[in-house]
Amino acid sequence: MPFRRWWITLLLLVPLSAQAFDLDDLQRRLAATPSLAGSFEQQRELADLDSSLSSQGTFLFERGKRVVWQLEKPVEERIELTPQAITDGSGENAPPGGEQVAQLFLQLLEGDWQALESRFTLALSGDQDDWRVALTPREPALRERIAEITLQGSDTIDHLDMRTPDGDRLKVRLFDQHPLNDS
Amino acid sequence: MTGSSYRRLGWLWLAVLALCAVWLGWMLRQGLPADTDLTALLPADRQAPLVEQADRELGRGFENRFLLLLGDDDRVATTQALGQALQRLVDEGQLAGIDWRELDLADADPHGWMGQWRYRLLTPQWQQAIDADGGSALIEPALRRLFSPTARPEPVTDPFGLLDAWLSRLPRSPIGAADGLLTLDAEGRQWSVLIGELKGSPYELPMQNALHATLERFQQQHPDAQLLRSGLVFHAAAGARQAKREMSTIGAASLLGVVLIIGFVFRSPRVLLQLMLPLVAGSLFALTLTLGIFGRLHLLTLAFGASLIGIAVDYVLHLQCDRVIDGRQFRLRRLMPSLTLGLISSVIAYVAQALTPMPGLRQMAAFAAFGLIGAWLTVVLWLPRFTLHASPFTASLATRWWRLCQPRRRLSPWLALAGALVLVTICALRLTSDDSLKLLNPSPAALMHDEQRVQQLLDRDTGSRYFLVRASDTQALLARLETLDGALDRAIADGLQIEYQSLAGSVPTLTEQQANLARVRKLYGPPLDALVERAGLPANVADQARARLDQAPPLTLAEWLETPIGSLQQRLWLGETGDGEVAATVVISGERDDRTSAALATLADTLPEVKYVDRVSRIGGLLGELRRHTAIWVITAMALMTLALLWRYRRHAWRVVVPPFGATLIVLTAFAVGGVPLNIFNQLGLLLILGIGLDAGIFNVEHARKPAAWLAITLSTLTSLLAFGMLAFSATPALHYLGLTCLIGLASVWALVPWVRPETGHSTTSPRESEHV
Repeated sequence: MPFRRWWITLLLLVPLSAQAFDLDDLQRRLAATPSLAGSFEQQRELADLDSSLSSQGTFLFERGKRVVWQLEKPVEERIELTPQAITDGSGENAPPGGEQVAQLFLQLLEGDWQALESRFTLALSGDQDDWRVALTPREPALRERIAEITLQGSDTIDHLDMRTPDGDRLKVRLFDQHPLNDS
Repeated sequence: MTGSSYRRLGWLWLAVLALCAVWLGWMLRQGLPADTDLTALLPADRQAPLVEQADRELGRGFENRFLLLLGDDDRVATTQALGQALQRLVDEGQLAGIDWRELDLADADPHGWMGQWRYRLLTPQWQQAIDADGGSALIEPALRRLFSPTARPEPVTDPFGLLDAWLSRLPRSPIGAADGLLTLDAEGRQWSVLIGELKGSPYELPMQNALHATLERFQQQHPDAQLLRSGLVFHAAAGARQAKREMSTIGAASLLGVVLIIGFVFRSPRVLLQLMLPLVAGSLFALTLTLGIFGRLHLLTLAFGASLIGIAVDYVLHLQCDRVIDGRQFRLRRLMPSLTLGLISSVIAYVAQALTPMPGLRQMAAFAAFGLIGAWLTVVLWLPRFTLHASPFTASLATRWWRLCQPRRRLSPWLALAGALVLVTICALRLTSDDSLKLLNPSPAALMHDEQRVQQLLDRDTGSRYFLVRASDTQALLARLETLDGALDRAIADGLQIEYQSLAGSVPTLTEQQANLARVRKLYGPPLDALVERAGLPANVADQARARLDQAPPLTLAEWLETPIGSLQQRLWLGETGDGEVAATVVISGERDDRTSAALATLADTLPEVKYVDRVSRIGGLLGELRRHTAIWVITAMALMTLALLWRYRRHAWRVVVPPFGATLIVLTAFAVGGVPLNIFNQLGLLLILGIGLDAGIFNVEHARKPAAWLAITLSTLTSLLAFGMLAFSATPALHYLGLTCLIGLASVWALVPWVRPETGHSTTSPRESEHV
């Protein structure tokens, strides 16, 4: 009998240890694919507008280096984000604060939790095949601009959802993602 | 003079001093009304008050704030350590605030408060684009913006992104955010930026000490971190520490020296007190009358005026030496002619100075003249009434010293003249002058280097070069600024390596804003419809957007200056001037060479009511003007003294003038040979030499056979050497030069005196000597 009870306890523990999937594990998992390419669908819902702004295109992601965002519809535009700068096709100056937004975007796509943790509280739920990270801003100043960000995915990030306090919402779906060979 | 009337005069003088004390107390009830600005010493011209106001406005950020740049391999951790240490100072109430985290930058987002004005603000490129084809070229970029993941599209309030286009043109701070810290990217390295705000004056000692201790501790704990400091508070603190250090070394040494010498000679501590009494009385008299006449006092006046009163030590020493040595045989009457002549000649010199058009020199002259008169009256009316311990040692010392210092040969007037000519020639050939701002700057080189590096890394200027623009009202001023900006833009296009900050770049004139709104209405016609359609938005979005144009208030200068970005430009706005006009500055940074300065000055000349001001060269110019005026005045004083002395001493007059003039020439020659440039401070030192030298010359001739006179001359030059000559070791340039002059000059006075003493065998020293004996 004692043996049996011990066995049940062990069985009960198994799912528990599987659940101890943490942000570090997730980061390691995401880092397994250093660079990838795919398609995206972006939908921006604006609170004071019945309609929404939808766009689609392809993207290229090189971990630690850059993200290239290639808009195809309804307008052609290539935007390249690097940790230092944001460059777009028009050559115009990015508006003030634009770099910060770009940097945040880059950190989100990389799953750079250490960097994000200084500004957001992070909550991880789900398991490694279907995880979800919710980010809420720590400081009131940032809370005025961002209400909540959620990331969802498995091997890669599949969904990004950002809400602002005034009711605007940016939804990005990443699909057809395939790793690129470093060659 | 009878004994009783002498006593009455004494009491009268005491009553005057008491009155002065009361008056002074009343005038100082709200503190000493002291000027520190150098320009207050110069004749006021019409522009100067405005220029000074501009200087103050532009310097304010430097005064009330400080900035630290921190570079380190482990930047985040060290910055957090320093930021938290400084935050503790804020919590303790020493500082008003410290910004170093990225979040401290957060409310700099201008979208919230700039929005309502956006329809009236257009960049030149957008104006051209709309004027060219109604703005259809702007559709494509607007579309891209609407769909960019990092932009914040506002299809109703601002479909074209007017505000972002306008904002991207505004001067942007080089300070950004990285790793959650305020960061400056410069020269391939990331520096953390920490900006502190002071609660009160940068001269507050407890705050300076706390800040200094915090930074020192940080540097000890992080020896590899590179910390650059910028801000007046660091210079003020360095100055205060240096003054304290020098007070305890130079100051203590000279005080100890004076006490030892006087104690050794007179063997009585009372003499020391009696030495101070006339100086204190003289200073009280001078301070009261000068404040009463001028209403304000310049700190330089106070410092140098007080030094010049030091000449009065001569009167005390001559009187006391005579009293101690002559004992009961002492008669004030015998000493009166030389004491009086000493006073008159010095006062003549100062009165000459009082006639110059320089308010600063007049103040200084009045202060020194009143001070000498006050000290002299105290010496004559009060000192003889105090009992004096007459040690026989003093008399024997005087005699022995007198014998020891008899020169074997005496100087002939022709030899003196020849010597003077040689020295004058050397001076004429070799002497240079220096009026640079460095003289006024006592900051250590390391701090100056930090300051320069910070300015260089931030690509920032402390606002030392600017255009001063005036107009009858704000709109006219904005229009004038716009013309100036246009001219500057053309000059920059032609290769002038400068940048500028102007209010006109931020606030267009009302006419221009009206024209901009008309342009936006045009843009919100067919181009807007096309944009909405291509973005796949419902057509009523365009109508909603157009409705916004009906509530488009104009941006006024006052409103702009109240906004967070606009408040950074408050320093450019001078507001109403005394004569009902308004004024503003346009600050220049970038290349500093002569060609650029000339181009900027020429540019200002072509525009009405625009003046180019270069603060550094202006202050240098002021210093030079002050120096030249003092030089002329020194020469005039010498000429006047010579006339007065010729009248009394006739063919012996040269014996009186050799010590002061000879010493002056020796100092100048030493500077010429040693390559020390002449500046305002060593010239003021020369005044002291002239005064003390002249007294020595007069007593030397009047009392040629009295050992007491030679002892007094020796003591007077020795104590002055200790008091002023020691300043040569000061690290503060102004004091160093004053001290150096006194060191060489006073030693020369003392060395020259015996050589021109009249023959002891003859009683030809003075025609009136016999009358007094």
